[in-house]
Amino acid sequence: MKALIFGPGRIGCGFVGQVLRKAGYELTFAGRGTVVDNLARVRAYRVRLTDGNHARDEQYDVTSVRAVQTSDVAGVRAAAAEADLIAVSVCPDNLHVIAKVLAAALLSRTSPVDVIAFENCTDPGGSLREAVLLCAPELASKGHGFSSALVSRIVTGRQGEPSKNAPLVFLGDRASTFVVDGTTLRNPLPPIEGMRVVDNFRAWAMKKLYTFGAGHAATAYLGALKGYRYVHSAIRDPEIRAAVLAAMEEGRQGLLRRYGLELAGTHAELHEILARFDNAALNDPVTRVGRDPLRKLRPDDRLVGAARLAQEAGVSPSRLAMAAGAALCFVCALDRAACPAPAATVRTVAELDPIRGLGRAVLEAFAQLVQGREDDNVLLSLEGHVWSWSRRDAAELGKA
Amino acid sequence: MRIGILMTPSFSSRRSPLMPAVLALLRQWGASVEVIYPEDRCTHLGALKVEHDLYVLRSETELGLSVAGALHAIGAQCLNPWPAASLMRDKIAALRRLLAAGVPMPETYVVCTPQRLARLLEDGPVMVRPFRRSRGRGARLFWDGDDLDAAGEGPCIAQRYHAPDAADGCERKIYCIGGQLFGVLRRAPARTASEKAGEPFSITPELRRIALACGEAFGVELFGLDIIFSSGRPYVVDVHSFPGFKGVPDAPLRLADYIYAAAQRVLAGESVARAIAANTPLKVTPATPVEAVPA
Repeated sequence: MKALIFGPGRIGCGFVGQVLRKAGYELTFAGRGTVVDNLARVRAYRVRLTDGNHARDEQYDVTSVRAVQTSDVAGVRAAAAEADLIAVSVCPDNLHVIAKVLAAALLSRTSPVDVIAFENCTDPGGSLREAVLLCAPELASKGHGFSSALVSRIVTGRQGEPSKNAPLVFLGDRASTFVVDGTTLRNPLPPIEGMRVVDNFRAWAMKKLYTFGAGHAATAYLGALKGYRYVHSAIRDPEIRAAVLAAMEEGRQGLLRRYGLELAGTHAELHEILARFDNAALNDPVTRVGRDPLRKLRPDDRLVGAARLAQEAGVSPSRLAMAAGAALCFVCALDRAACPAPAATVRTVAELDPIRGLGRAVLEAFAQLVQGREDDNVLLSLEGHVWSWSRRDAAELGKA
Repeated sequence: MRIGILMTPSFSSRRSPLMPAVLALLRQWGASVEVIYPEDRCTHLGALKVEHDLYVLRSETELGLSVAGALHAIGAQCLNPWPAASLMRDKIAALRRLLAAGVPMPETYVVCTPQRLARLLEDGPVMVRPFRRSRGRGARLFWDGDDLDAAGEGPCIAQRYHAPDAADGCERKIYCIGGQLFGVLRRAPARTASEKAGEPFSITPELRRIALACGEAFGVELFGLDIIFSSGRPYVVDVHSFPGFKGVPDAPLRLADYIYAAAQRVLAGESVARAIAANTPLKVTPATPVEAVPA
């Protein structure tokens, strides 16, 4: 069995490649840059999995890999032509970028194949199919499957210098399950350890996004406001820990109401998620987890989507709204000059009404959090909204 | 990640809980942390090697500082670099450096014995501190020349006493952890535990500017300042290279986060030393008054 994986990044190598190789697939990676050169030259890489106790670390050498630059059209076509499975892990916003290359590769095939998009969103397979058919409408009748998959693993980074001849190392936690949308698969997949094929993928995607994803993002955005550098330190802050747990519980309540206990899981599972955020061995900066905040503020994504679902369940999503407000602060911190008006972001990105309901709650949370925010400032208290320094008049601050 | 922390053995039951909490966090995060007590060792200087990715100088003793200097000489990376820590320990050099950086301070004098301060006292009280003691230890206020006989011996610094504004009866501490500033308001004299801990306050732009100037003057991101307000004007009266951060919300967590990040930088091949080396002379700000020591 052969698999072609677009995107030799954290998830592509650190999860997809490892589980497929373990299941017996021969791997070819397609991508850009020096990592592809390294994989092509070294033909192997390593995945190190840790739960924070290095004595229990697991290492997997992913061997006999091949790699081609996506600019090598003939090479990609050749790999696609003989692939039994194509996986894509390039970040949701890049699906349209890879679509042209993928379309050209699929046109070279004589038989249908399953393409699985491993991305953190509710329907990446559908988005990819749409983008591919825009490039090559004739593929609509070829019977290729465009499915979606969600992975549970956190893969935080890559170690090693691609220009050298040593294998790169991808560092992740030990979570090893993934969920595949079975309704859009062309052919049944062979047994793969950790894989669960489901027919209600959207619900599973929401489960991951609205509990784990919401908690992870909330930790990053609140952690950034309070001046922490790492997820593992931010989550140790009692205020942040309480807020993150409450935000995940709001999301879980929404899932519980819509899908029931089996999918929503128990409150105890949220503590297991917190324990994963505690894992310092992942060395995960809040800036990495918080990146791309506008995508994370979309209506179906982890913060706003979870909050909407909670509201449907009759739960007031105050902590999710606060996390979304913190995400708006993060947007401004990334580029103050290009910072969009928060109300406009709430309206156009989150697709919420800024003057009522959830949109208003997000903006109020933002207004409270951002009041007094300055460069290099640290929020001392989420509740009291006290900043480490303030431009306000000294007299107003009690001659401080 | 190997971290060495140079510390002073503590025999006091009132030991600060800061460092045990920081050590516990770093160890929970997987760092190998060794606490080094120079006073408890026979250090073979020729065999001294850099055995840790990052050192943290927490020791307040001369020996601890010198061992940090020895490690610095053989290329150790120290979170609070020895040149800066050494400079900050020497109050005479440190305060002059702060003056040169434009930091507001009371008129400051240096004398080889307190008895030479008699003429200064004719113009008002002075606060006298040993020139190499830290954290206000040994500080004493003199109002009258007759008191100087009991002042002891040795070089000291004397600062013109400015009575703190009595409105709140509080002293202000500004702490810096990794470039992040924290203000703590503390009642003076503090009696209860909560008064001793103080409470956080939002630093004004003026105090922020002063604190950042202090950090720049020494090229450090880890320090503390004592500030008094008198007649509405701020005066920096002391500076510390590794204070106790009492009253800073979640101080152990913030300090551990900073140390961990610094060690990660070292592991990534970067230097923790700031671009502004503490041994670079500062250009004297024209507005800075240079006081003459009275004969």
